[in-house]
Amino acid sequence: MAKLSADIPKLVEHFGPSLSRIPAGGWADTREDDKLVKTHCCFCGQQCGIQLRVRENKIIGFEPWEDFPFNRGKLCPKGVKRYMQDEHPDRLKSPLQRVQDKGFVPVGWDAALDRVVSEIRRIQETYGKDSFAILTGASLTNEKAYLMGKFARVALQTANIDYNGRLCMVSAGTASKKVFGIDRSGNPWSDIVAADVILVAGANIAECAPITTDYIWRARDRGAKLIVIDPRMTPIARNADLYIPVRPGGDIGVFNGMLHVMIKRGWIDQDYISKHTIGFEEVARTVEKYTPEYAARIAGVPASMIVRAAELFGPAKTSFVMHARGIEHHSKGVENCIAMMSLALATGRLGREGCGYAMITGQGNGQGGREQGQKCDQLPGNRKIDDPEARRYIAGVWDVPESSIPGKGLSAVPLMEAIHSGKIKGLISICFNPVVSLPDANFTREALGKLEFYTAIDFFLSETAQHADIVLAGSLMEEDEGTTTNVEGRVIRHRKVVSPPEGAWEDWKILLELARRLGKGNKFDYAGPREIFDELRVASKGSVSDYYGMTWDRIDENNGLFWPCPSLDHPGTPRLYEDGKFGHPDGKAHFIPVEWRPSVEMPDEEYPIILTTGRVVSHFLSGTQTRRIGALVDQTSEPFCEMHPQLATKLGIADCDFVKVESRRGHVVVHAKVVKTIRPDTVFVPYHWPHDRSANNMTIRALDPQSEIPEFKICAVRVMKAERPIDPIAKLEVQAGGIR
Amino acid sequence: MNADVSQFAKAKGSDTVRATTWGLLATAALIGGIFIGSRGMRDFDPALVSYAGATLFAAFGLGYRFSMWLRRPPTRLYWYRGWQLFLTPGSFWKNLGHLFEIFLSNFVLQRFIERRSHMRWTAHWFLAWGCLMAGAITFPLSFGWIHFETGRSSQDIYRAFLFGIPVGQFPVHSVIAELAFNALDIAAVMVLIGVFSALWRRGRDHGAMAVQQFANDLMPLILLFAICVTGLFLTASTHLMNGLHYTFLSQLHAITVIITLVYLPFGKFFHVFQRPAQLGVDFYKRAGREGEQAVCIRCELPYGSRMQMDDLKRVQEALHIHYQLLDGTHYQDVCPKCRRRNLALMQDNMWKSTRIESERS
Amino acid sequence: MTNGEFFIDYSRCIGCEACVQACGECDTHRGVSMIHLETIERRDSVQTAPQICMHCEDPICAQVCPADAIKKTPDGVVQSSLKPRCIGCSNCVMSCPFGVPKYQIDIDQMMKCDMCYDRTSVGKKPMCATVCPSGALTFTTMQDIQRTRQGVPVNEWRFGVEIVRTKVYVMVPKEVTRVDVDLVQIATTAAALPPDPYDVALMLES
Ligand code: HEM
Ligand code: SF4
Ligand code: SF4
Ligand code: SF4
Repeated sequence: MAKLSADIPKLVEHFGPSLSRIPAGGWADTREDDKLVKTHCCFCGQQCGIQLRVRENKIIGFEPWEDFPFNRGKLCPKGVKRYMQDEHPDRLKSPLQRVQDKGFVPVGWDAALDRVVSEIRRIQETYGKDSFAILTGASLTNEKAYLMGKFARVALQTANIDYNGRLCMVSAGTASKKVFGIDRSGNPWSDIVAADVILVAGANIAECAPITTDYIWRARDRGAKLIVIDPRMTPIARNADLYIPVRPGGDIGVFNGMLHVMIKRGWIDQDYISKHTIGFEEVARTVEKYTPEYAARIAGVPASMIVRAAELFGPAKTSFVMHARGIEHHSKGVENCIAMMSLALATGRLGREGCGYAMITGQGNGQGGREQGQKCDQLPGNRKIDDPEARRYIAGVWDVPESSIPGKGLSAVPLMEAIHSGKIKGLISICFNPVVSLPDANFTREALGKLEFYTAIDFFLSETAQHADIVLAGSLMEEDEGTTTNVEGRVIRHRKVVSPPEGAWEDWKILLELARRLGKGNKFDYAGPREIFDELRVASKGSVSDYYGMTWDRIDENNGLFWPCPSLDHPGTPRLYEDGKFGHPDGKAHFIPVEWRPSVEMPDEEYPIILTTGRVVSHFLSGTQTRRIGALVDQTSEPFCEMHPQLATKLGIADCDFVKVESRRGHVVVHAKVVKTIRPDTVFVPYHWPHDRSANNMTIRALDPQSEIPEFKICAVRVMKAERPIDPIAKLEVQAGGIR
Repeated sequence: MNADVSQFAKAKGSDTVRATTWGLLATAALIGGIFIGSRGMRDFDPALVSYAGATLFAAFGLGYRFSMWLRRPPTRLYWYRGWQLFLTPGSFWKNLGHLFEIFLSNFVLQRFIERRSHMRWTAHWFLAWGCLMAGAITFPLSFGWIHFETGRSSQDIYRAFLFGIPVGQFPVHSVIAELAFNALDIAAVMVLIGVFSALWRRGRDHGAMAVQQFANDLMPLILLFAICVTGLFLTASTHLMNGLHYTFLSQLHAITVIITLVYLPFGKFFHVFQRPAQLGVDFYKRAGREGEQAVCIRCELPYGSRMQMDDLKRVQEALHIHYQLLDGTHYQDVCPKCRRRNLALMQDNMWKSTRIESERS
Repeated sequence: MTNGEFFIDYSRCIGCEACVQACGECDTHRGVSMIHLETIERRDSVQTAPQICMHCEDPICAQVCPADAIKKTPDGVVQSSLKPRCIGCSNCVMSCPFGVPKYQIDIDQMMKCDMCYDRTSVGKKPMCATVCPSGALTFTTMQDIQRTRQGVPVNEWRFGVEIVRTKVYVMVPKEVTRVDVDLVQIATTAAALPPDPYDVALMLES
């Protein structure tokens, strides 16, 4: 049923994305604000502190919040203009019901909720409980993430719930758990500043975690060296002491090669290794053959660079190792991370001031969103869903029989495949725009068309919500309250800045009401997010990510608390692994040997170029929000195809030409951006745009076997000069997928 | 011709002596005007002597200030260029037409302010036209250029004289008479509307509040307010209160006007004389657009008019600004965008060189 | 006014444009951004750089203004053009050594960075320097900058033979006492030795 109810231009005409350019009240309205509310930006895992200006229950501007310790008033352009998503003309202000060929019509809440509940009942009775799935997001607050997990297991009793953090943090998380025993950045960001050498791999910090730049530059002012590993010369790479333009997928070559040199030259901490770790010998054996020359062939860079990296990193007194999606979005994402972690571990430079390891979370609640039990294999508190003890404990918290809690379900991509193959018939989604963000977008579109019933909870009609039967008008971050956990593991509080517009509900209210109508009201009896948080605290008690000792008040007083925080008098844990204590039951870190292997789709004669995808600074993820903010769209209005002049010359392409980038699965037509700052064998297309401008038309549905993250960072394409497209989609506004 | 321009950028002689001369000339001219216009003081109303005196002072001030201002090299050059372009043989009529256009849109309708905000326009249009109207009546009155007499045949007829020449007559109780005698009140109300709109904006706009200064921005509005209110009180006293406190009120009004006249050449009001003197810029800009374009020596893209760049070099020379670069090129020939890029490159380069050096050692 | 000073370090800039977005939020010109953000030469490099008004001690913009429309406050901030005076001639735009003033065609006037006078005059930091995530734009005390940064703040420049002193400082390596401006192209900077370090293809060949 979930085919588009009207053609895209018509839906765009009614629901946008259109651009908000002027704040509520206009630029010139200079009446006094009613209040200034301290809260956080919703547009990345750093969760910068920001103050929003409010007048008459409308957000009219922002003011930096200089006292918040993480960002000290600093913001990126998304943070500055985030307030423009409020009072937006596209805002959904009532539930919508699809009408074939017409689009959507508003319906009352009762009718909408009844319809959703009756469809859930019908589908689950006909096809079984697991035939109704839930897709959620890592930009939800901890409270909502917890609620979604519980809703799936208690109200729907479906195993099939997963979240878009599957496209984000799972490789890093899996690797971190395997090596260190805990899934969290090891250090507070203040430790970056005290490091003598900083190793960054696959992280376009300047654009995707801009505030972190400040920490790195401060370290450099102290004389720290910076090594950046990336196929593209990103803005921070420009100033790096060593920049290694690695071939996409060749990272293990660099890491194992560095370790090889470091072992040879004695730049490892034997004492630390023997006291606090196990498994080093096997790793040493594995990297034995990764001589700089061998490693260089894998990495696709000169061997001298790998030696130089080892020389800079090896003998340093303190160091900080950071990575992000660049090494994680691979069919060997977990192994990439493990290889990098070995570098930190072998030098024993962990758990001290200036010595640490961090994964840079991407989404608003990238860290917290993966702890509260909305992953297909997890219960709250980062607990495994197939661990009997965890099941018993959570069953107790939820007051349900342990046996009623479903087992492990499908992760995001297999879940979409199950929809495609007809195993899953019904879907609720929130905070997820898979049409834009999942790999192989044409497949996703096809899959959605096969659903019998689909309901989306959203504040704007995202490209995925366009496929829904019922859309429930939910809330923006600033219209509700709750907590998130930032990139450092710091739990912080989002305050309710304004109430949702009339006709839209806070997301948690929608879920409570659905649960009540499904006859599970007594299990979802909360007066508000604060009570959900209190239950979450209990649910996480005793787990790795223990929130029990945190209360909203304590979080407020301390500008955030770091987990684990097991008791009310516990100060929280900004730095993990102090004194070499790790999260595994044996208290040690586990070295794991990894070998390089090719990516799933390597370039060949037919598709000779590597495509890698990523973000730009002015947009957030699938762009549902940022493609509606005029100032951000002006900054980067369309996707582009970055390519090296050598490649461009070979293909007969000039800067700004229209080019078609095509893989075995799909294509886009975008403008060429001819720059010397990318490897000649690789092209880059950012992924925030929909339809014919969606980079994910090309990407491949190949997964890492351990984390099930898709291989966004490498697939094979061919690129050719194209004519200006003139179809109806091309004619749309740029933010809607058009092209100029 | 260009040699002439260079000459013009640099004014010769002592600034103050010249300016004083011009101030005195302006005063003398006004005295002459008053004397002749009032037919050897026959039509001069002695009651208004203090107004005329203050105006003479203002004339000196304006003459002085105007001359000082015109001696600044850039002003001087523009002034000269404006006339030069306006009087260009062949396009005089076209220019006259254009001047009329500018006059209508910039002066009469003040469209350029409307584009900033409606509030500003409202404030300014009422201020400007209220003041201009009042000035058009009061100055000639106080100079004795116009005066009224009751008709010889009938007490019910008023006769108006301009420079002693009868220009019309009208019945005392007619609409025209009402308008004529209340024109000042109407002007006062217009000015008050303007003053209040301006104050309202200045009291609410955080940006304006941050940059405004009392003497420059609020003082003029307060002065105008004082003139209008005391003026309106005069009318009220005559018509509603049987002349209560009339003498006191008229002295008060005179004081406010005199202070304003004295302030005229120095504060914000100077722009009333300045702006019309600079209508020439429009011709300059047009000539610039139509003429040769300057091409940046760094990026080789056009960035402005050749004439303006060359004139700026002259102005800079007169101001002792030395933009000649060491390699013989001139910084004025670098476009603003390239200046910014160049600075960043220079500074980044310093750091890069230092790092490369420290790496080597 | 706080005892803060403005420090620019072009080389730190990451081109995020937070400054551009935040500048338009300042009350003295809300809705219009005054800061410049230059992409130096995108084909060759990702280098970008901001430019705010340097608030010259003896502003050339004001000297060449025929309308006498540019004034400095007692605390040394060179203000945007005085509205009743500015006639939109662009002399200032074309003469400022730093390329700062902007001619706003819609209102036929020059506008420029006024260091967020609404903020700095009441002790707050300017918008751009508050949000800038790289510290390319920083507003802090002289002691703080000397304590935390490599290099030194300098506020003297030479353009040709013209010496310009500014209220805003630029961060330069220790031995530098004045920035002597000559024309450079990206290809001729020391950064380009060994040849073109920004060309990834060349890096791979070495
Ligand atoms: C040739 C005609 C005139 C021109 C072109 C002109 C131009 C201007 C301009 C551009 C402004 C700034 C407006 C703004 O804040 O946006 C201004 C302000 C002002 N003008 Fe005029 N003006 C003219 C005549 C007058 C006259 C006749 C008066 C009355 C004495 C006057 C009094 C004022 C005052 C008091 C302000 C300040 C308003 C405020 O506080 O915002 N102007 N004028
Ligand atoms: S930097 Fe330019 S605009 Fe700023 S004061 Fe100096 S000359 Fe004027
Ligand atoms: S544009 Fe305005 S401020 Fe600039 S020089 Fe011309 S009159 Fe002066
Ligand atoms: S905010 Fe800072 S880093 Fe970002 S573009 Fe502006 S100056 Fe550069």
